[in-house]
This record gives sequence, structure tokens and C-alpha cells, in this order.
Amino acid sequence: MRYFKIIILFVIIPGLVLGALACQTLQSLTGPKATLEIAPAEIFLSPALIRKPVTFKGSGFAPKEMISVEMVLPPGLKMKGITEGEDVGIAVATSDANGNFTAAMGPMATLNWFFQVGWTPLLKPNFKEARPIPPGVYTINATGLDSDRVATSTLKIVPPPKKK
Amino acid sequence: MRKKCLIFLSMVLTICFSIATFSSSSSAKEVAYLSLADYTGPIAGLNVPADMGLEDYIKEINAKGGVNGIKIKFIGIDTRYDVARAVSAYKRYRRTKRLLMVNSISTGIGKAVARLIERDKRAQLVPGDGEFQAHLGRNFIWGPAYQDAFAATLDWIIDDWKAKSKSGTPVVGYLSWDNPYGREHLRGGKEYAEKLGIKLLPPEFFPPGTLKHDVYLTRLAKAGAHYIHAGGVDPTPTNVIRDAYALGLTKKIQMTTDYWGPTALGIGVHAKALEGTAITSFFERGTDAMKNKVPTDLWKKYRGSLDKYNEVYGMGMSWGLTYVAGLKAALKAVGYEKLKADDMYKAYQGITGFERLGIQGPCAYSPTSRRGSLEVKIYQVKNGKIVPIRGWRKAPDAVSLHKF
Repeated sequence: MRYFKIIILFVIIPGLVLGALACQTLQSLTGPKATLEIAPAEIFLSPALIRKPVTFKGSGFAPKEMISVEMVLPPGLKMKGITEGEDVGIAVATSDANGNFTAAMGPMATLNWFFQVGWTPLLKPNFKEARPIPPGVYTINATGLDSDRVATSTLKIVPPPKKK
Repeated sequence: MRKKCLIFLSMVLTICFSIATFSSSSSAKEVAYLSLADYTGPIAGLNVPADMGLEDYIKEINAKGGVNGIKIKFIGIDTRYDVARAVSAYKRYRRTKRLLMVNSISTGIGKAVARLIERDKRAQLVPGDGEFQAHLGRNFIWGPAYQDAFAATLDWIIDDWKAKSKSGTPVVGYLSWDNPYGREHLRGGKEYAEKLGIKLLPPEFFPPGTLKHDVYLTRLAKAGAHYIHAGGVDPTPTNVIRDAYALGLTKKIQMTTDYWGPTALGIGVHAKALEGTAITSFFERGTDAMKNKVPTDLWKKYRGSLDKYNEVYGMGMSWGLTYVAGLKAALKAVGYEKLKADDMYKAYQGITGFERLGIQGPCAYSPTSRRGSLEVKIYQVKNGKIVPIRGWRKAPDAVSLHKF
């Protein structure tokens, strides 16, 4: 029994404490809770998204850090240029001195990841090769690249309205 | 009870030992190279063959046992030319063990990733932005800066003007993409033109994807341009010159391009329109590239017939040659066990003068230089072929003329 106590005291407990200290997830929990808002939270795919893109607003990140906004691809969804199981970056920003950020999807990101267009030799998007992502609810993560803080929200893509 | 404790302890030790043994046996000596490339996006036409050259060279090195027994892992990521995707991909791979170099294939991506590179004490390769030479950091450009190459073109223009026995000084028009790349050439290039007494017309910028360039070309022609420098990554300059040809401008105006000007890609489609175009290049192209046995043999070995060979394949191979030279220097300095990305950053600054099979000029990286090489060669399209019309020459330092 004494040996068991020794093991617990000198091996398991220090191991757990060190592990917890090293764990970045736990470290990120020690700061303020990061939040993410998506506007609009529900969209349908149309060229209007180029002019009026999806925007992201976040808080609770470290000051002046880069933020990567990523869309989590559900299993089985194939996307041009993306290996299965990988998330796709859709926006990037830098937080302000208070850890807040705003970002919008660039035209390139909207064309590549929402519409999945091809590209002509003239560098024009080729909508004939487009494979728009299917409607559904997609998880969006915003990650602080210094603090490792993560905020999560969802973006709902609905089918386009039927033409009357 | 004591027996139970001993059994428990031996089980714990066995598991720990097994994990340790498994980890060490599964991790062969390896270093990594990350390419934030464009394989299916707008500049895939040139990026794909460039990365093929690099990947094939790495395959070759690994097949021969690696560098001092260390294999190189090539990680190629398709960013589709999108900054957000590139940053996200870097986030995913930044903790890869012994990731020694990142190649960001876009000025925009390079600038975005630079902050993270600095934080991670790593090094990155970036296209040709002179700003990275003006503000020395962890970003190494592939060859001379864009503005240096543009200045070399202006030198050639002066010589060509004199050779044609023209009086006065030439008037030069400039048109390129409306983005940081397009404007970079003039940050020092404009000052160099003034120094030479060349009249540089107000530049014309157009968005990538522009179908016709007639408006811009006509404006430059009406303003009296004797030479027009067409920017953009091939096939864009090819298409600009195609439009100039259709307008009849190439009869009286000499067209020039930078190092992303016509390659086999553009020549294959618009050889007639491109006839006479002068290209300033830091890497071998056209007939020169076809004569260089090492890259062409490598292509034949891994890709087959030379029919689809593009000269940027050699440029990609040159990235690989430089990486291996840097790796050797880093290993010599610290050995494999202590090797970190920061050691590669230091090593790149010490491979000054390293030769790369004649594909481009000697390596110019040093503690005070982030230029991949200093020399450029002028090529011209003649009879549907890209041929050299001038040997390697050091490009002027136009970066230092601009206040960044």
C-alpha cells in the first residue's frame, strides 16, 4: 500500500499537474472567453456574396494577434485543394489592443471555398467548373494564433430561393 | 498488496517503455519543407511546374539516402492563391517537427505569414518583394527584387535605343496588375528611370482577370510610349502583348516583361504575337532551359516527354538545391538532434555564392542580403522561341533608391 501511495505522490500527481500546465487548451481557458459572431448567420450562395461578403466579429482574443477563421468541413465533403479532414481558412484578421477583431471573407475565399470555381488562363473565375458547397450548418472556428484561444459559431447555408 | 503494487508498477513501466520504443522507431530522421502553393487556382499554370521541379529534386535526394541520412518531407498545400487559406494551412503545419522552411507563393501570402514566421523563429521564401531586402528579416526572396529586374530592363532599353540609333531618350510605359506585386516594381524602379533620364509614363494598373487590355495599351501608345513593360504572371503578360499585337502596336512599340513574362505556357498559345518581346529573367528559360541537362533529365525521369516542359521547373529545382545547401550548413553547425528552424535561417545567410547548376546566378543570401541571386539575363522571342540576347549581368540595386 505504501508503494502505491508513493507512486501516486511522486509519479501520477506530478504528471497530471505538469500535463495540465503544458496543455494549451487549459491555458487558453485561463484568459477571457473568446466569442465569435457571424453576419449574416444564414446565407444562400449567390454572386451578391462577393459584394456583400460574410463577416466575422470576435472578442476575447489576445491583443494584436493574428486570427484565423476556419470552416470545419463535415466528413465526406470533398473540396478542391483541401485534404479530407482538414479545415479550410476563409478569413484572416488581426485583433485590436482589446482583443477584438472583425474580418470579412475576401472575394478569393468566397469564390474558392463557397462556389469552388475553376480559374481560366485569364485569371477569371470559371463558374462552369463551379461545385458550390451543399446547404447545411457549418461550424466556424476563429483561432488566435498567439493565444490559441478558440471561439466557435455556426453558419447556415440554405438552398437559394426558387425563382418565381 | 505489495505484489499487486509491483504488478501495477511493472505494467506502467512496460506501457511507458513501449510508447518510447514505438516513438523512436517510427520517427526516422526527417526535416520538412512547406510549400504554400497554388495548384488549382489562378497562378497554377506556373506554380505547378515549379513545385514539380522542387518535389522531384527532393524525391531524388531522398532516393539517394537523403542529406547525411536525413530525409526531406515535402508538404505541398494548395492555397488557391488565397491568403486566409494559406494562414490557416500554416497554422496547421507550424508545429511540424523540424519544419525548416516555408515557401509562400504570393506576395500577399508572404506578407501575411511573415509575422508568424518571425514569431516561430523560422525562415520563409517569398517571390520578389524588394521590401524584404529593405527591411532585413526572416524572408528570403527567390532572385533579385522586382525593382532590380525592372531597372535591368531599363538598362537594356537604353542600350536598345542607342543600338537603333535613336536620338533623345526613350519613353517607357508600364502596365501591370493592380495589387502590391504590380506596384512593387516602381518602388525604386521609378527612381532608377529618373536616374537614367528615361521618361516613365504614368503607370496603368488593371485588375487580375481583365479580359482585354486595349484601353490601357492605347492610352500608353497615345502618350508616346516607345517601350511598354507588361507585368503580371504568365499568361497575363502574354495576353497583354496579344492585345498590343492585335492593335498593331507591336510594330512600333517594343514590348518588355519581367521574370514572370512569357514561358512555354504563353509561347504555346500566342507565339506570333509575342515575337520580338524582351524578357528579363533571373532563371534560365527558353532554349537555355532546354539545354540544361540536369533539370531536363530529372523531368524525363519523373514526368516523361519534354513536350510539356516548362522552364519554371528548373526554378523549382533551384529552391531544392538551395534548401539542401542550407540544410548541410545547418547540420554542420548544430547536428541533427539540436536542429531547429532558426538554424536554417542562420544557415541560409551563410551559403553566399552557392552555385545552382546555372539555373540562376550564384546564391546572394548573406547577413545583409535577402536576394536569392543578383544576376538577370535578357531573352527575346525569336522565331517562336525564347532565346538569350544578353548574358548574365548583375541587376542594378533599385531597392536602395526607394524610401520604404
